[in-house]
Amino acid sequence: MAQHQISMVLDLNKCLGCQTCTMACKKLWTDGDGMDYMYWNNVETRPGQGYPRNWDKIGGGFEDGKLRPSELPTKEDYGQTFEYNYAERLFQGGLQAMPQEETRNTPNWDEDVGALMLGENYYFYLPRLCNHCTNPACLEACPRKAIYKREEDGIVLVDQERCEGYRYCMKACPYKKIYFNELLGKAQKCIFCYPRIEKGEVNACAKQCPGRLRFVGFLDDPESAVHKLVYLYKVALGLFPERGTEPNVFYMPPFNPPRTGSYGKSVLEDPRMPMDYLKYLFGDEVVPVIQRLEAELHRAQNGGTSEVLQLLIGRDDHVRYKISKPEDLVQIQGAHRG
Amino acid sequence: MKRLASLLICSAAAWSQGALDPAASEWKSAAPITLALNRTPPLYSTDAPATMDIPSVQVQILHSSAGNFARLEWADKTHDTAVLPKAERTWQDDHLVTQSEATNRFSDACALMIPAKPNAGDLNPSLQMGDADHPVRIFVWDATRGAAVMEASGRETTKRTGQSFPAQAQYAAGRWSVALEISDLKAGTPFAVAIWNGSQQDRDGRKYFTVWYRAQ
Repeated sequence: MAQHQISMVLDLNKCLGCQTCTMACKKLWTDGDGMDYMYWNNVETRPGQGYPRNWDKIGGGFEDGKLRPSELPTKEDYGQTFEYNYAERLFQGGLQAMPQEETRNTPNWDEDVGALMLGENYYFYLPRLCNHCTNPACLEACPRKAIYKREEDGIVLVDQERCEGYRYCMKACPYKKIYFNELLGKAQKCIFCYPRIEKGEVNACAKQCPGRLRFVGFLDDPESAVHKLVYLYKVALGLFPERGTEPNVFYMPPFNPPRTGSYGKSVLEDPRMPMDYLKYLFGDEVVPVIQRLEAELHRAQNGGTSEVLQLLIGRDDHVRYKISKPEDLVQIQGAHRG
Repeated sequence: MKRLASLLICSAAAWSQGALDPAASEWKSAAPITLALNRTPPLYSTDAPATMDIPSVQVQILHSSAGNFARLEWADKTHDTAVLPKAERTWQDDHLVTQSEATNRFSDACALMIPAKPNAGDLNPSLQMGDADHPVRIFVWDATRGAAVMEASGRETTKRTGQSFPAQAQYAAGRWSVALEISDLKAGTPFAVAIWNGSQQDRDGRKYFTVWYRAQ
């Protein structure tokens, strides 16, 4: 187990689905050969097929303490990448801007489709990255010990020299957040922007987020927003907790704004989206979390102050981010115990 | 440590040019020996059971003034190989990224393992990639990525040396034949062979393997 754990909390009530995080990550890390289809950070519409297609249904993670590997997603599951026919459309009088071949799936194929509940459409955006799990299934699955979890911050990395491209890690990851670079024969994944973190700078996906919905810091730093949201206020949850990997990326479940005409009713009486679907993603704990958030909302609406909501507004960087030096954490923890 | 399972003696015919062509007529002068293949147990209980559709491999070994050569031939109905464009490791300006065409294909492959150090007596290194006191050298040929020399001193320790070695392969009529030039495969050197079938996702320890034999 790592000594310290860096973490990210994402407030899904604030996500615009603009994909700025996706592009920030793409330009910074996955702009190389063989990485065309990789989005270490992606934003998918929920309910929806996800990226890669059906990643949440095919398996992975642990069951009764044992690895339950899935099938490998195919290139088609990740979605085709293509270039638009700009030259033909703009300069040669062609009518077809889309590529000629029929495109059947792309990484954001069913954007904003969602589903119906009581005749009304609902959906929300789910930004996803590697969860840098406390009990990583990928690490457990690798027969070459090419995957390691850093002591100082808990970031999970694939040693590109040791990796032989066997892809047991891809099958084991319940979030399907490891990708295969066929040209290099290596597995590659989100590195939590560790070169930036080491300089005290926040991840590119968080830095570029116009919705300011990402909070970054050490879970074991009592002064960090992530610590307060996860442990103190208990309003953030990991994805698919039953898969047994103990993810370290957390989400504030979506519950706001209320449905049209539901003023005065509680979110459990008249939820914006089916609670069963949120339970599917975040486990049963999602119900008390939403109740806590709603209580905070009511307190603020009635003229009171809510520390949680103030923190969640997170207007300024220093509120959302606190990247302590790992060597300072023991002292910070000591000061708070005192 | 395992005792020798048996001795294998191949003819040491005079050898000329073209040693690396697995279809060269000279290879016909050396009688092939058929070695039985075993299958490693599955890694996970959820793994699809592997077939034993490659029950054996034919081996020929020749020592000559031109070098030491091995030729492996085995039947594999599925031809699992890909031609990959060369990847740039550097990030480039204005460079249209070369695509990974697939995420779920694996290649056919073979390997020949020998002790890294000359042996004492008739004891061989562990079949599981040697052991701490008895390291091995593994000459791997992969239908997509070519030849590479690896070193190991026990399970999970295989490491690329960065070296390659001369190898040529041919796939015809449902059979692979691969010629390898391995200078250390001198007369009397113990060796073991492994075969991977890409279409059943063989890689790593998911493979067919022989016990140790001796090239004389």
